[in-house]
Amino acid sequence: MVATARDPQLPTHWFNILHDRPQYVTSAVSRSRLAGAMRLAGHSVQLQQPLSLARQSLNTADRFIPIPDEVLDLYAQYRPTPLRRAARLEERLGANARIYYKYEGANLAGSHKLNTALAQAHYYARAGVKRVVTGTGAGQWGTALAYACQVFGLDCTVFWVRSTLRQKPIRGEMMRLFGAVVHESPSDLTEVGRRALKEDPAATGTMAVATGEALALAAEDSGARFAVGSGENSVLLHQTVIGQEAISQLAQLGEFPDCVIACMGAGSNFGGIALPLLGAAEDAGKPIRLVAVESAACPKLTRGRYLYDLSDALGTTPITKVYSLGSTYVPPPVYAGGLRHHSAGPLASAMHADGTVEAMAIDQLTSFRAGLLFCETESILPAPESAHAVAGMIDVVSRHPRGGAPLVVLVNISGNGLLDLAAYRSFAAGEIEPVTADEASLSRSLSALEEFNQSIAEPAEAT
Amino acid sequence: MTTEDSSEVAVRPELNRRQATSLAFDALAAVIPGLRIEELDERQELYADLGLDSLGFLRLLFELEGKLGVDLVDEDLVTIELLNVADLVDLVERISLLAAR
Repeated sequence: MVATARDPQLPTHWFNILHDRPQYVTSAVSRSRLAGAMRLAGHSVQLQQPLSLARQSLNTADRFIPIPDEVLDLYAQYRPTPLRRAARLEERLGANARIYYKYEGANLAGSHKLNTALAQAHYYARAGVKRVVTGTGAGQWGTALAYACQVFGLDCTVFWVRSTLRQKPIRGEMMRLFGAVVHESPSDLTEVGRRALKEDPAATGTMAVATGEALALAAEDSGARFAVGSGENSVLLHQTVIGQEAISQLAQLGEFPDCVIACMGAGSNFGGIALPLLGAAEDAGKPIRLVAVESAACPKLTRGRYLYDLSDALGTTPITKVYSLGSTYVPPPVYAGGLRHHSAGPLASAMHADGTVEAMAIDQLTSFRAGLLFCETESILPAPESAHAVAGMIDVVSRHPRGGAPLVVLVNISGNGLLDLAAYRSFAAGEIEPVTADEASLSRSLSALEEFNQSIAEPAEAT
Repeated sequence: MTTEDSSEVAVRPELNRRQATSLAFDALAAVIPGLRIEELDERQELYADLGLDSLGFLRLLFELEGKLGVDLVDEDLVTIELLNVADLVDLVERISLLAAR
């Protein structure tokens, strides 16, 4: 096969922060702490992930992990991605700043998710898996995985959160075009879905339920495995091509950022850009601010608790220590479906807990305003998730004093908003509200989260 | 995360059932806190009876890699689904055969 020529700026390795900061290795509680009733008799033990991915998530020995050749050839079709200076935006803001952005939305799938989808599909195919099942929020992960599965000859099934699926049906068509089977979640295909529908037939769906449905379906089929699009250490690792490219692209311009900003779903686009920059700043002995921008409708870092939690409604994924609003929290259906996960991933959470990462919450009205401004000035329409990063960046820049050195900022535009035109149209028509957290659901969910932590703190009962 | 010590490969290319059982029990005891080897039997279910979850299973595999001097790769574990301790002993036998690889 003739491969696309590789650009010298395309990294050949992923950057592994766990080498520099082994304290970030995921802290998990054994399921043996759970009450016996939660353990299913007849439930067999298997690896959910190929061993390579599991090793990547736990590796503290290697600072750089080689990218498989087959994956590099696929990266070369769309990487390096552009790094540009947002000069017209700077002028419009009248800011004392030089704003650079990395643009991950130009590939077929439309977002950074392709970086890990291709890597994961490579490992799942090599492990002999026939079918990959997943849950998706915004649909960007589902689209990327559907495409990657097609490339590697895998079947793909996607459970897509209902509120988002209905907002952008064309994205579902894209997944199907790549051969994926797409189900609206909650669905009547799984017990988790049926339970959610029974509680509320009009349920808008959550990532926790969609993930739980995907896990349940994968468990029924021995040739199938569940794949995850964010949060896991290995997923953040795959995304580090973004930050590594940015470092070399900025170095060509003689720049290094004072501040890196990205939106926060579970942490993959954030980690992808921030982790290599953190490593480079520490190598150079320079300070760096890392700012995660979350949705005010799902404010896990700014209002969540740093506790042990489940990441899915089925309750079979590891119980990890994360910033969470509780797995039963139902965020209001905002347009940034990618920011609706109830918890940040373990790595992003650990980085917030020790003060390495700052967080801010932005409401969707503010984010759409910022997204459209970015479109006007930079000729790129950001995805609603990425528009949160733009809004966060504008906030940071506007607080920087006029006198003194300009602030050098790097922001990640993780995806394009071309399939989110209905949302932008609603914004333009004045129909978008500045949605914040559902206080009643949040209060119930946080209480349940605290009770859950008390229950697993007790010594395990013999079963 | 590779196993550097491969000194056991030469001395243990294959295991008999008793050796495999003993290795499986030791590995379980290493990854499940509070587990008593004398209370183990082959009919016990790994998940329901012993509380071995997917992370625990991963630690168990790493433990077996060390004990058997094998570096497992993705292709080795494709079809593995273990219900009970007997299945684990079967797996230990299979992995020990890979040591000759």
